[in-house]
Amino acid sequence: MAMLEPSTEQPQTVLRAAPSAHRRRWHTLRKNRALVGGGSIVFVILFAAVFANELAPYSPNAQNYSAILQGITWQHWLGTDNLGRDTLARVLMGARTSMEVTLGAALVGLVIGVPVGIISGFYRGFLDDWLIMRIVDAIQSFPFLILALVLAAMLGPGIRNAMIAIGIGYIPVFVRTVRGQMIAESEKEYVLAARMTGARDWRIMFLHIFPNITTPLIVQVTLAAAGGIVAEASLSYLGLGAQPPTASWGSMLQVAQGYLNSAPLLAIVPGVCLVIAVLGFNLLGDGIQKLWDPKRTD
Amino acid sequence: MAYVAKRVLTTIPVLFILSVMVFSLIHLIPGDPAQVILGQDATPAALAALRAKLGLNENILAQYWNWLGHVVVGNLGNSLLDGESVSHLIFQRLPVTLELAIGTFIIALLIAFPLGILAAVYRGRWLDGTALFTATIGISVPPFWLGILLLLLFTVKIHLFPSSGYVPIWQNPGRNLSVMILPMLSTGFREAAVLMRMLRSTILEVLHEDYVRTAKAKGLNGWAIIVHHALRNALIPVMTMGGLQLAGLLGGLVITETIFSLPGFGSLLVQSVFSRDYTTVQGAALVAALAVILVNLIVDVLYGVVDPRIRLGKKAS
Amino acid sequence: MKTKHAKLAVALTTMVSLAAITACGNSGGAGSSNQGGNANQNSTSATPSGSTQTLNIGLSADPPTLDPALSSALVDRQVMFNLYDTLFQLEPNNTIGADLVQSYQISNGGKTYTFHLHPGVTFTDGTPFDAAAVKFNLQRDMAPASARHSSLSLIQAIETPDSATVVIHLKQPFSPLLAILAGRAGMMVSPAAVQKEGSNFASQPVGTGPFEFKDRVKGDHITLIRNPHYWNGEPKLAQVTYKIFTDPNVELANLESGAVQMIDTVPPQQLASMQSNANYTVVNKVGLGYQGFYLNVSQPPFNNPYLRQAVNLAINRQTLVNVVVKGEAQPGYSPFSSASPVYNAQEDTPPPVDAAKVKQLLQQGGKPNGFSFTMQAANSPITLQMVQIIQSMLSQFGIKMKIDQLEFGTLLANNENHAFQASQLGWSGRLDPDQDIYSFFVSGGPLNASNYSNSQVDHLLNLAREQTNMADRAITYAKVMDLLHKDAPYVFLFHQNNTFAYSNQVQGFQYYSDGVIRVDGLSLQ
Repeated sequence: MAMLEPSTEQPQTVLRAAPSAHRRRWHTLRKNRALVGGGSIVFVILFAAVFANELAPYSPNAQNYSAILQGITWQHWLGTDNLGRDTLARVLMGARTSMEVTLGAALVGLVIGVPVGIISGFYRGFLDDWLIMRIVDAIQSFPFLILALVLAAMLGPGIRNAMIAIGIGYIPVFVRTVRGQMIAESEKEYVLAARMTGARDWRIMFLHIFPNITTPLIVQVTLAAAGGIVAEASLSYLGLGAQPPTASWGSMLQVAQGYLNSAPLLAIVPGVCLVIAVLGFNLLGDGIQKLWDPKRTD
Repeated sequence: MAYVAKRVLTTIPVLFILSVMVFSLIHLIPGDPAQVILGQDATPAALAALRAKLGLNENILAQYWNWLGHVVVGNLGNSLLDGESVSHLIFQRLPVTLELAIGTFIIALLIAFPLGILAAVYRGRWLDGTALFTATIGISVPPFWLGILLLLLFTVKIHLFPSSGYVPIWQNPGRNLSVMILPMLSTGFREAAVLMRMLRSTILEVLHEDYVRTAKAKGLNGWAIIVHHALRNALIPVMTMGGLQLAGLLGGLVITETIFSLPGFGSLLVQSVFSRDYTTVQGAALVAALAVILVNLIVDVLYGVVDPRIRLGKKAS
Repeated sequence: MKTKHAKLAVALTTMVSLAAITACGNSGGAGSSNQGGNANQNSTSATPSGSTQTLNIGLSADPPTLDPALSSALVDRQVMFNLYDTLFQLEPNNTIGADLVQSYQISNGGKTYTFHLHPGVTFTDGTPFDAAAVKFNLQRDMAPASARHSSLSLIQAIETPDSATVVIHLKQPFSPLLAILAGRAGMMVSPAAVQKEGSNFASQPVGTGPFEFKDRVKGDHITLIRNPHYWNGEPKLAQVTYKIFTDPNVELANLESGAVQMIDTVPPQQLASMQSNANYTVVNKVGLGYQGFYLNVSQPPFNNPYLRQAVNLAINRQTLVNVVVKGEAQPGYSPFSSASPVYNAQEDTPPPVDAAKVKQLLQQGGKPNGFSFTMQAANSPITLQMVQIIQSMLSQFGIKMKIDQLEFGTLLANNENHAFQASQLGWSGRLDPDQDIYSFFVSGGPLNASNYSNSQVDHLLNLAREQTNMADRAITYAKVMDLLHKDAPYVFLFHQNNTFAYSNQVQGFQYYSDGVIRVDGLSLQ
């Protein structure tokens, strides 16, 4: 979604910075509230995702027909849904679904986007200008969610296909980021030096340049993850992501919409999780960005 | 002018690639599309008829060529569900989505302009901090959850707005607005947050430019500078970014329309997905992408025309 | 393609997802007016206290059409039964009584029906109601494009010896005919209006009923006004306005705020609080329909009868009823609820879940550790809730059920093509039991989504069509049910209730088992 847009302005601003000394980084780290806040939130979400089963007080799919649509109680800290399933257990499991899809999608996007971006940015020329970047333009012209929706429709609903669909949506951003950095770096002295020594192209691309452009890429992946979380929730809300009984924040919201009157808690809990997770990844992205480029404080 | 020419020229391969991608969608369906659509008990005759209708019998190049020929003249094929023309189906639904998009932008502007300017002027003060914090939250709140919250608050709890019952604006403007206001707010809030952040940083940048400093030195007061110089110059990049926002907005509208059961383009797409109406899905995807390409082209061209400082190579794409 | 769509339209008329049932109640039904009699007194003299009264009724869906020949949604009937009279009508005691047909004879071994029409009836556009109008209407409904086509397909010929007599010749004896003519197929529309309006008739409908169409804003409201010349006595209400609310909670809120005085459905979770509120009367009675799911007997895994039985016996219906509809239903094991004339308590009582028996059946079916299948279901929240409970119940036996959410129309098309393993789809119910069972289980029947075929069942179903005595038919249907329980091509789950609520201002409400509100007898206090 629109979460991915910063990419169009980032490459230029990122280039301005040169990696600064370690000392300075640690100094700024403490003042970097976005990084600390975002990092903590992301850590908590990932922790919940990994240990969802251990943390959950009940099985997320266990139906208890004598405890339906309950509010906050001692037994169910965040209430229960229309099948008597524990909401706390389900939002924890929802964190896992969300992270699985988002990180899986990021992997799909990286595996395709990074090599393409590297090659495109390194060689440039006709291939880059008239084919690769135009394909990227074409993919990007699909609204992210519409692309994911259409792909999920064609491939069939389910977590795996949602992952692929969102991952394809990521490709343009990753290609652009990597390509932009590639173009900037290939002019630098260490690259010229490597060329002089007669290193092969692929060595220069992957071993010399790539390690130097990982930070902006990490920023993009983090910001993209925020978009991916929303996309997964949207697809699941529509019934095209996680399939019942798998818990997802999106499908929980879909159920909740039918009980806004009698059980508003059901709509609030997964939504708050969703906002916190998106906020966490957005902040973390901003924080890494600042760490990398302290001059750009605004 | 060279910039404009190149910008228009690069659109051509994009359109071509887009057409290939959209055309291929139907071939993404695992297995024989006709079989998937009709089910396993479909008679051979029915399968053959559908294959002929979808043009699946010819070789792939001929299929593409035929399809493209129809698309170029606005024929997106017929719905697999009831045989209605897909372009007609989409055309029928567009006013709702258009109204929603326009309303969203109006709301976004109404919120973002005052806040963005104030935040820039009072940079670093509590007002700025609050505005920035709200914007960060705003960007992180998915429109569809905000929509559900608004429904909960304004429809379920205080019965202020109806939850459904769309009527076209030309039939009953009052009722139309009462139905549309919540969806517009739910998408508008996020757009406002994005726009506000952009506006703030653009104004800050402009405020540092030489000519603004000169104006300041000449003794013009702060607000005059904002209005006369900063704002006018800030509008162009903001407009450009507004164009880029469209793709995100269109995606968001799909789900907003579903939540508020509005008969728009997005809910058509969702319905078609659940009806396995692949030709309509295909057509809707194409129209959405074309809209984004077109709007971005127009915005970029305008940008190049309006702002002579634009450097050909500066744009990322 | 054309015939396919006509068939689809029929299916749409009659089949109904769980959500739609909640919304619309049951189908079938008859005209308005007083008890089957033809009392003409106090027609013009009585300008009852309510001559200017307007009744507002909340509807949970917008009726797609008001043309009985095209009607494919159950909610249409809420309006249509007050616009049109029917040839026969459903009585409150569930029998079929006279309406526009004053008396009739059956001859020729059940193959000839002679109808004597009520004299002096006119349509609200002034067109006289006579034998020619009846013939016009029946022929219109028998056309392939009509949603009524299949229910009248056994009519061979229609004669009109004089203007007050209609003779119908059937291809074979067909005892459900009168009940069918008490439903949408028996609704009489003005031939002159049809000829004048053509395809626009549904937006300017004209009947002989107690109310006339005034105006409509799609998605918002439909207004009817009193027919001052109604042949069966002038209605007490001057006007009826149906207001559309797609969210049942909003509909209820409008009843509470007084914007409407009556609603056609009560959200299950609000039922208890409404019942204890002295300002409202709540009607909560079992309807004629049923919920359940088809098992496709023509493909794996359900071509294996043991696995079908295992699924059939693994579901606790009472729990489903308690959770999904908060007790607003009767657990069921047959198409016939206690509101049906052929109800058989023994056949309709689901057996308790017997884990040992289910495991034994899985063993016999060669899948001792369970198996997997996909259930297609309409993508409505309540349907999804129901199938998830079934999913959970089956998982206890190692039976893994995947849920495929589909748009309603696509689900119907898949049913027609037998393109599914299991398919959740209920039936809204009809006045005549034949209409609740025949087409679903007879070999090659139009609604036989399971692809089920059993020559004994076919024989018994056809026998019941020839039996005119309801008690005899009940015995025949009990035999059919014994076979269906053994073969389990369809898993019956429960019979949903019709629920209404109305303000105590509303006087004279009479419940009919088809779930349609007859406005004619109502007034406001």
